[in-house]
Amino acid sequence: MKNLIPYFTLGYPDNQTLMKFLRIMPVNKINYLEFGFPSNDPRYDGPTIRETHKIGNKNFNDNLYKDLFSYFHKNRIKMYSLSYYSDIKPKFNEFIDYLKSRSFSGIIIPDLIIDYYSEAKDTINYLNKNGFEYIPFFSPATPDKIIIDISKLTDSWIYYGLQPSTGIDIPYELDYTTERINSLLPGREITYGFGIKTEEDIKSLMKSGGSGVAIGSYLEKMLAKNDESGFLEYINRIRGALDA
Amino acid sequence: MITSINKDIMPENWYNVVPDLPEPLAPPRDSKSDFSSINLLNKILPREVLKQEFTFRRYEKIPDEVMEQYQQIGRPTPLIRAKNLEKFLDYNGKIFYKYEGATASGSHKINTAIPQAYYAKNEGVNGVTTETGAGQWGSATALAASLYKLPAQIFMVKISFEQKPLRKIVMNLYNGNVVPSPSNLTEYGRKVLKEHPDTTGTLGIGISEAIEYALDHDYRYMVASVMNVSLTHQSVIGQETKKQLELLGEHADVLIGCVGGGSNFGGFTFPFIPDHPDTEIIATTADEVPKFSRGEYKYDLMDTGGILPEVRMYSLGADFVPPSIYAGGLRYHGASPSLSLLINKGRIKSDEVTQDEVKEAIKIFANTQGVIIAPESGHAVATMLKYIKEHKNDKKTIVVNVSGHGLLDLSIFGDTQ
Repeated sequence: MKNLIPYFTLGYPDNQTLMKFLRIMPVNKINYLEFGFPSNDPRYDGPTIRETHKIGNKNFNDNLYKDLFSYFHKNRIKMYSLSYYSDIKPKFNEFIDYLKSRSFSGIIIPDLIIDYYSEAKDTINYLNKNGFEYIPFFSPATPDKIIIDISKLTDSWIYYGLQPSTGIDIPYELDYTTERINSLLPGREITYGFGIKTEEDIKSLMKSGGSGVAIGSYLEKMLAKNDESGFLEYINRIRGALDA
Repeated sequence: MITSINKDIMPENWYNVVPDLPEPLAPPRDSKSDFSSINLLNKILPREVLKQEFTFRRYEKIPDEVMEQYQQIGRPTPLIRAKNLEKFLDYNGKIFYKYEGATASGSHKINTAIPQAYYAKNEGVNGVTTETGAGQWGSATALAASLYKLPAQIFMVKISFEQKPLRKIVMNLYNGNVVPSPSNLTEYGRKVLKEHPDTTGTLGIGISEAIEYALDHDYRYMVASVMNVSLTHQSVIGQETKKQLELLGEHADVLIGCVGGGSNFGGFTFPFIPDHPDTEIIATTADEVPKFSRGEYKYDLMDTGGILPEVRMYSLGADFVPPSIYAGGLRYHGASPSLSLLINKGRIKSDEVTQDEVKEAIKIFANTQGVIIAPESGHAVATMLKYIKEHKNDKKTIVVNVSGHGLLDLSIFGDTQ
C-alpha cells in the first residue's frame, strides 16, 4: 500500500476546525500524518503554508491535541513533526522529548541540511540514538553527494520535495526527477511532496517507484473553507490514484 | 593559439554545477509574504529558461538552433597563450587568456542571450526586455533578439547611458530600444525618479523596471547573471577552455575571472569544479564593490524593487549604490548563489582591485598582447598581475577569462592619458 501523508499546520485555521477535520479523517485511507509546528520563519514554504504558520503561531495550544495524537497513535498512524531547525535549535533535546511524549515517530527538518549542514550529522546521530526517526528532506537543488551521504545516516523513508517551496508550480521533468532519486538511492522508500496537485502526477510518481505522497497546501485551503465533503472526497481520490 | 572553428571544441551540453556543489544550494525564497515571487517567475521568464533555472540535471543539451547561432557569433572563442605578457613580466610559468571579446557582440553575454531569446521566440511572446550596466548585456540581448526577430526593450543604468553613448548606438543598430534607468516607462522607475531625481541608477533598479515592463507587455525578461540558468549557459566558456587546454597538453593551475553577478566567472570556472580539485580559482571584484569581503552571506533581494525572489548570496544590500566605477558590469550588489556558496565554503578565493590597478592592467595587456580589454576584464588581469608578483617562481599555468573587449570603454582613459 502506497503512503498517503496529509499535512496540517497545528492551530490552522483555528484549533476547533483543525480538530474537527482530524476527527473525520478516514484513518484507513492514510498512512502517516505530518504536523507542522508553527514556525516564526517558515522560509522554505510557499504563501499558502506560510500563512498557516502565521495563524497557527497565534492559535496552537498543545493541550487540545493530546487526545487526538493518542487516537492516531492507537490507530497505528505514524505521526511526524515538520519543524524548522531555526525554531527548535535552542531547545532541541526538550522538543524531541516532547514529541516522543506525544507519540510522534519522527521529525522532518527542512532547513537542517540547507542552513545548518555542519550540524546535520550530529543532529541525526542524536535522533538515532534516541530512537526517533529523522526523515531526510531533499529537493532538486540537493547535490548528489549530499543525498547519498545524509541518507546513509538513517534507514527511514525519504521526503523529496519536487518544487523549491510548497504550493509552487515551476516546470520540471517528472520522469527525470524520479529517475535521478531512484538511481541515487536504489530500493529506498521515497515519498514525494511540494506542489503535487493532480491525480495524474500521483499515478506517474507511483509508476516510477515512488512509495507515497505528502499533500499539504491543497488540504489547508479546504480547511480554510471549512469544506468537509470536499476534503473527504479529495482524500478518497488521492487514495484511489495511489492504489491505481 | 587555438582559433579553430572546429566544432569539436564546442560542447554539446551546458554544464550545471548544482549537483556538484559541496553543500545544498539554499532555494530561492519569496520576497513578499502575501504572494509568491517564485511563482511569478512563470510570467517573467520563458518556460524552458525557468525549468533550467531549477533543474538538477548536470548536463543540458544545447539545442541545434542555438549551436548554429553560437557558431555564427564566433564560438568557439580563442584561447591564447600570452607569451608577450609572460616575457614582459619575466614569468617562468604560462599565461593563457580565453578571449570572449571575440564574439560578435564583444563579450561573453551573448552566450546566454541567444538561448534565452530562442526559448522566448518559441513561446510566441511579444518581445524581450532586460537591464544593462556597461551595455554589454544590453548589446547581447539586442543582438539575440534581432537574430530571432523579437523586439527588445533595454533599461540602461543612467550613469552608463551617459558615459557610454556608443553602446546605445550599438544596441540601436541591433534594433534594440534603449532608455536610461530609472525611466518613465515603469511605475517603479517613476517612483525612484520622484524620490531621487539625481540618482545615477543601479542594476537593481534596472532589473525591477525590466520585470515590471515584462509583466505589463507580455514580454519575457532576459536574465543577465546571478540566476543559475545564466551561469549554466555560460559554461560553454569553461568547457571550451578545458578542451583547448587538453589539446595543448596543458593543465590549469590557476583560473581567474571577474565577478559582477557571476555569469562569466561561473561559466568559465565551474566546469573545472568536479574534476580539477587542485586548481586554484580566484574571483575578482572592484575595490569599490567589496561584496565578498564586506558583504554578508545572507538571503537578499536580487532586484531593488523586490519583485524577484530572495536568494542566499554575498550581498552589500539591494539598496547599495556603488560609486561610478569604470566597470559598469561589476557594480551589482550581490553575486550568484552557487558562486557565493563556493566562496563561502572556501573552494573559490576572492580578490579586490582598485581602479588604478585596473587601468594599469588594461595598459599592460594592450601593450603586450595588443588587445584592449573591457574594464571588467581588466579587474581579472589586475588580479593575475598581483598573483604573478606574489608567485613569481612558481611556474604555474594561469588562465584568465577576458570577458569582453574594451573598444567602447576608451573614455576611461580620456582625461588621464
